[in-house]
Amino acid sequence: MSALTFTMKRRPDQRVDMSPLVCQKLQAMEPDQIAAIELQNGNSKIRVDQLFDISGSDSQNIVIEGSFDKLDFIGKELDGGAMTVNGDAGAYLAINMKAGTIKVKGRAGIYAGCEMKNGFLEIEGDAGDFVGGALPGNKQGMKGGTVLIKGNAGARVGDHMRRGQILIEGDAGDYCGSRMLAGTIAVMGDTGRYPGYAMRRGTLLLWRRPRLSATFNDCGSHTLAFLPLLFASFKTLNSRFADSSVCFSRVQRFGGDMAESGSGEVLVRI
Amino acid sequence: MLIKLTGGTVYDPTNGIDGQKQDIYIQDGRIVAAAPADLPIDREYDLNGKVVMSGAIDLHTHIGGGKGNISRTLLPEDHRMDPVARTAITRSGNGHAMPSTYVTGYRYAEMGYTAAFEPAVLPVNARQAHMEMADIPILDKGGYVMLGSDDFLLRMLTAKKDQNAINDYVAWTLQAAKGIGIKVVNAGGINAFKFNQRKLDLDEKNSHYDVTPRQILQTLSRAVKELGLTHPLHVHGCNLGVPGNIETTLNTIQGIEGLPLHLTHIQFHSYGKEGDYKFSSGAAQIAEAINRNKNITADVGQVLFGQTVTASGDSMRQHYNHRFASPNKWVCMDIECDAGCGIVPFKYRDQNFVNALQWAIGLEIFLLVEDPWRIFLTTDHPNGAPFMSYPHLIRLLMDKSFRNDMLATIHPDAQKMTTLASIDREYSFREIAILTRAGAARIIGLKDRGALSPGNWADITVYTENADRQAMFSKPDYVFKDGELVVKDGEVVHVKWGTTHVVRPDFDKSIEQDLQKYFDRFLTMKLGNFKISDDEITEDGRGSITVHPLKERA
Repeated sequence: MSALTFTMKRRPDQRVDMSPLVCQKLQAMEPDQIAAIELQNGNSKIRVDQLFDISGSDSQNIVIEGSFDKLDFIGKELDGGAMTVNGDAGAYLAINMKAGTIKVKGRAGIYAGCEMKNGFLEIEGDAGDFVGGALPGNKQGMKGGTVLIKGNAGARVGDHMRRGQILIEGDAGDYCGSRMLAGTIAVMGDTGRYPGYAMRRGTLLLWRRPRLSATFNDCGSHTLAFLPLLFASFKTLNSRFADSSVCFSRVQRFGGDMAESGSGEVLVRI
Repeated sequence: MLIKLTGGTVYDPTNGIDGQKQDIYIQDGRIVAAAPADLPIDREYDLNGKVVMSGAIDLHTHIGGGKGNISRTLLPEDHRMDPVARTAITRSGNGHAMPSTYVTGYRYAEMGYTAAFEPAVLPVNARQAHMEMADIPILDKGGYVMLGSDDFLLRMLTAKKDQNAINDYVAWTLQAAKGIGIKVVNAGGINAFKFNQRKLDLDEKNSHYDVTPRQILQTLSRAVKELGLTHPLHVHGCNLGVPGNIETTLNTIQGIEGLPLHLTHIQFHSYGKEGDYKFSSGAAQIAEAINRNKNITADVGQVLFGQTVTASGDSMRQHYNHRFASPNKWVCMDIECDAGCGIVPFKYRDQNFVNALQWAIGLEIFLLVEDPWRIFLTTDHPNGAPFMSYPHLIRLLMDKSFRNDMLATIHPDAQKMTTLASIDREYSFREIAILTRAGAARIIGLKDRGALSPGNWADITVYTENADRQAMFSKPDYVFKDGELVVKDGEVVHVKWGTTHVVRPDFDKSIEQDLQKYFDRFLTMKLGNFKISDDEITEDGRGSITVHPLKERA
């Protein structure tokens, strides 16, 4: 059975809500039913077959060919199965995802992995602001699973993040780990201003020295036994995080944000 | 334009009409006794078998003023869950706990409401409140101007100024802020909070001004009476939500010495402290006190289960309540010399003992107060529940078996602490019409609304009788506003704009000399800017002002 493939026929001017096209919703549907699904497109509706050529039949393996950055809500509430996005993804990629795998070959817009519950999200290009964050007004962002970004991430990575891990091979923008409740964010590249801003608990794991604010205290250098175990868990990833040469166990530890409860930590490789 | 409403079953308590079949004629927006002989009927509606009442009036609902926007900003998730798309005649917006202005108007109208009154217009923020209400379509509106914690009044009381000077200040403020009544919120308590007092009982002195809440209430209710305002002093009492506050409330009723007083959201002020949880119902005593004291009126402020937000000027009590915020976020703020404000999201749960008993206490008060002309149907929107839940509340009042079914589902210990199951009363259509129409219009002082009398504006709601009263009151067949059909089958079909109701009591112009000095010295706003002119409400071509008469000055 070949992957259910949606190949973009034309790029509409207005944004498209892709949330109906996830594995669990298409599972019991006939091809003509899928073709007739109406997607919200700006202020009007558009049939799936007006936007895409549809081929293949395996609804548990969905491919979007020729995707571009106005396709929002790809993989919303995905509950098992695999989705591959060839091209860019719009905003709210994998929002509220519960299980399964989403791989994006290009870039992703804002709020990728927003309030994600579990599963695995991989972005080969750059990601926008609020990766794994909480929607405005909500108190908890990402609650589980893994987000892997091979490019750079925007500002506010892991805003209000509660659990899970965000791995960034490139740089992260300003306020990385802002208002974090718990969880892990690992950044191989640079971080912007105010990393860990108002974080309560959780871990920022950094390869390069950050510009920390005055509300983080230097707790000295440590050899942490859990780090090799953490890196071992990355071995199966198709990522530089799996490379044993990037591993370390010796870190400078900073505690903060003391403007909050201060139980968070920033670990920097030394 | 002559419209005939034929054969409806009419409930019009003001005119003693209780379910009689009657034709109603509307000529150019107003009700007329009979069709003029020489005019053809332009439009006729067959209302045989339908229930006809005047448009409903909500006398206490937070629909304007800064706290609305703070709530909206604090709770974007609440708006996100209830988006409302535009149509050819209506604008888009959001609903639920604190709906956007346009949606507020549409949804009220779609339930058969034609007027709503904002009970906490802070004079210094009054312009914003009126501008916000100006964006609420279809409904008539008005506001009660908030005094009692303002520095100027407290200074006057400290200086023992005579009642006439205070009357002048009250009248001047009422005119400047364009209100139809005077409201007091936790008399002096909001101010005491600024001097680090965290509670203030009725006879406790404000540490800075040496003034007690009782003095403030007496002085202001006397001012309201002497100025001839129809609406009595609108009082949000001391100790809101505190177990045992029934003592304070009974004391307030006794201590007002027969002056007219409207106790708002009285459910929140009717708590005893008996039982294992040290929280019990004071509804029976409160209802008895209202039954006995004819000078007292009250609206209930019913709690209904679900997510909402509490928005109040009572920063003292809201600051205490922030620990119960759900979701856990809140705002308290100071509003210069005037008052304060507190926004705390709440989720009332039927399996929470206190919430469940609050629900029962509200219903007990509704059912135990005998005179329907002195009790009013409110949830203190959005504080007890959003206004969209009124049809549900009406069903609870009109349908004993439904009420008892609901009662059986709440926290078991709360069931044991309420007498609700033993109360057999069911509200009639006539009584509902009094609570939501006739009584409300009378207590606010609307001279040509709330009744189907000839000469009145034709605000009329038509329902199809249905044993499920919630379904019935959710979706009227027709709603007429000023004689124009605005809602058909529960949906807005035409958008028009209501008027702003005000009163204009006289005052001695020399009060402005003192005020001028005070404004220049202490306030961020100039006296000239503080006063709202009529043009500001009418110049957009939608708004208008309706001035209501005063009683004879005592």
